[in-house]
Amino acid sequence: MSNTQMPNLNIGEKNQLKLERLQSTLNRACKNVPFHRNRLIEKHVMPEDIISLRDLEKLPFMERTHLGLNYPYGLFAVPLRDIVRIHTAPGTGTNPSISGYTRTDLIIWQKLVARSLEAAGVTPMDILQINLPPGLANWGRDYKDGAETMGAGVIPNSPLSLAKNLMVLRDYKTTTLVTTAAFAEQLMDHMFDNEHNPNELNLKRMVLVGEPLTLAQTKPLEERLHVDVWLNYGLSEIPGPAIAFQCSARCGMHLNDDHILPEIIDPETLKPVPYGQKGELVLTTLSARAFPLIRFRTGDMAQFIEAPCECGSPLMKMEWLPERSDNMMIISGIKISQHQVREYLKDALGTDQPDCKMEKFRHGGTESLGISLVIDDRLFSDEIKSLERLINETAEQLAEKIGVGVKLTLTEKEHKS
Amino acid sequence: MLRIKNLKCSYGNIMAVQGASLSVNNGELISIIGANGSGKSTLLLAICGLLTSWEGEIIFKEKNIKGLSPPSIVKSGISMVPEGRQIFSPLSVIDNLKMGAYTMYRKGMKKEVSDDLDMIMELFPILRERANQLAGTLSGGEQQMLAIGRALMARPQLLVLDEPSMGLAPKIVDMIFGIIKNLRKEGVTILLVEQNARAALKISDRGYVLETGKIVLQGSAEELLVDDDVKRAYLGRDYGDFYDGR
Repeated sequence: MSNTQMPNLNIGEKNQLKLERLQSTLNRACKNVPFHRNRLIEKHVMPEDIISLRDLEKLPFMERTHLGLNYPYGLFAVPLRDIVRIHTAPGTGTNPSISGYTRTDLIIWQKLVARSLEAAGVTPMDILQINLPPGLANWGRDYKDGAETMGAGVIPNSPLSLAKNLMVLRDYKTTTLVTTAAFAEQLMDHMFDNEHNPNELNLKRMVLVGEPLTLAQTKPLEERLHVDVWLNYGLSEIPGPAIAFQCSARCGMHLNDDHILPEIIDPETLKPVPYGQKGELVLTTLSARAFPLIRFRTGDMAQFIEAPCECGSPLMKMEWLPERSDNMMIISGIKISQHQVREYLKDALGTDQPDCKMEKFRHGGTESLGISLVIDDRLFSDEIKSLERLINETAEQLAEKIGVGVKLTLTEKEHKS
Repeated sequence: MLRIKNLKCSYGNIMAVQGASLSVNNGELISIIGANGSGKSTLLLAICGLLTSWEGEIIFKEKNIKGLSPPSIVKSGISMVPEGRQIFSPLSVIDNLKMGAYTMYRKGMKKEVSDDLDMIMELFPILRERANQLAGTLSGGEQQMLAIGRALMARPQLLVLDEPSMGLAPKIVDMIFGIIKNLRKEGVTILLVEQNARAALKISDRGYVLETGKIVLQGSAEELLVDDDVKRAYLGRDYGDFYDGR
């Protein structure tokens, strides 16, 4: 067993380990973060009241909005001098979400990422190339660190054109590509359209991140590019990727539940659902030092898998489901808050309530956010140039804010006949 | 091997340990580090049956040890090397060691005790040299070796050490920690309570940080040694800072 794997503990020992980590996380969070302390006091719960894993239910939930409301460092549980890395994610409101890592956090995340890569068959003999969009750049750094920890060669994330990426894949003899489904499909189409035979590549596997994929989506990639596809689950707002990963059994995903405690709740009643039923995934960090999350509502839908895994790993398993319990959209693996986009448009255009529709827009293999905005008297200008400038500037600024491309179009209000 | 859940220990109105959970697996060397008054020694007293009024669970080899007397706890396999050695100064070294095997003597296991004495003398040759000397005349380091030897005479499955480096010169501390490390290599499971955090973590598999009766951090020794909070609170000071004025 490599040192990245969870020790093979029996169920009692495993639950003891989780309880110990949960209790010390709560002790640290309540001692160092006023937000956590005050919310526990409001609920009349103290850390010492959590005497079993079931008591987790007594704790209040954290939501994405809390990350923005406590911008920038309000949720950090260590002094800033202990922080060695700071990450920014778009967030859901006016403020971005800021998260931090201590040196110890980085060591733990490196091990977790290495664990997921090992499960995908990556060895120190492999060359791993990372290609992630700017909105997932944080994960790029984590994958780089994790792969280096296990001794694999790494080609870090850098903004390259599709043709350049293909050149690196081919010439540098990349064996493992970490990317999004959108890029993988774009690459596949580009290769076939430009008569590049997949045999030119040394690629053995793709680790796809950012969104749940069906067999219908992964199968063409596996067959046409001669690779194995492995899914990883992570959160872009907080550290980091590979919270859950596929193993050789290819049945659901293993959760790193020795470091992150998962629950599945009914998004309506907020009560845990019976084991194995569908619900919203809620995560509590068990070893994070800088940025503890306590019952963080991910908005992702999932269900636990009870049967032990063929691969023999003692880690819990879940099925990651395509639907969501919130109105976030996933574009190129990045979660986009429709509420945040509307708020931004409100400020940028000076309208009270922008009338718009949002959808995933796909062009030439790349995904962006398509917004069709209903033009009203306030926005209307008889000068086409000034309208065009307003659209372009707004789209550019919004793209910078949310980390994905934006295509903004104006439409006329539909008149009811 | 040892599983503690939600342990609460009080002295009157003062709660010295406030719901601590920790575990020691077979063959592991685990350190509990913390400042003076953090509840480390109280926790050990509860494990060894020397403190009776505690709440929670202490499970040793799948059995709850609540209500067991200290001799029964020794019989079940836990031996303690107490803070400040607590050797029997007016007795000879050999008699001190024999006292450690008290429960085996009572069972008539004289041959086993004699073999164990030889084994301890092999482990600590200085104790053979000083076998008939009064224990009170030994140096601090030798007394610590005697205290460890005495605990090992009970053939423990879990050896519990309370501040073994206390009052010893740095070179002797290194030697004592070397001995503890070797015991772990030979398969003895060890729970070590220490203020000398760096020395303890360097030889440990895992560690727990206790602060005002609560466990605020745990992890592999490697992770704790680079943790800034741990470094600032426990690793920044040198040996003298811990013991000056005690």
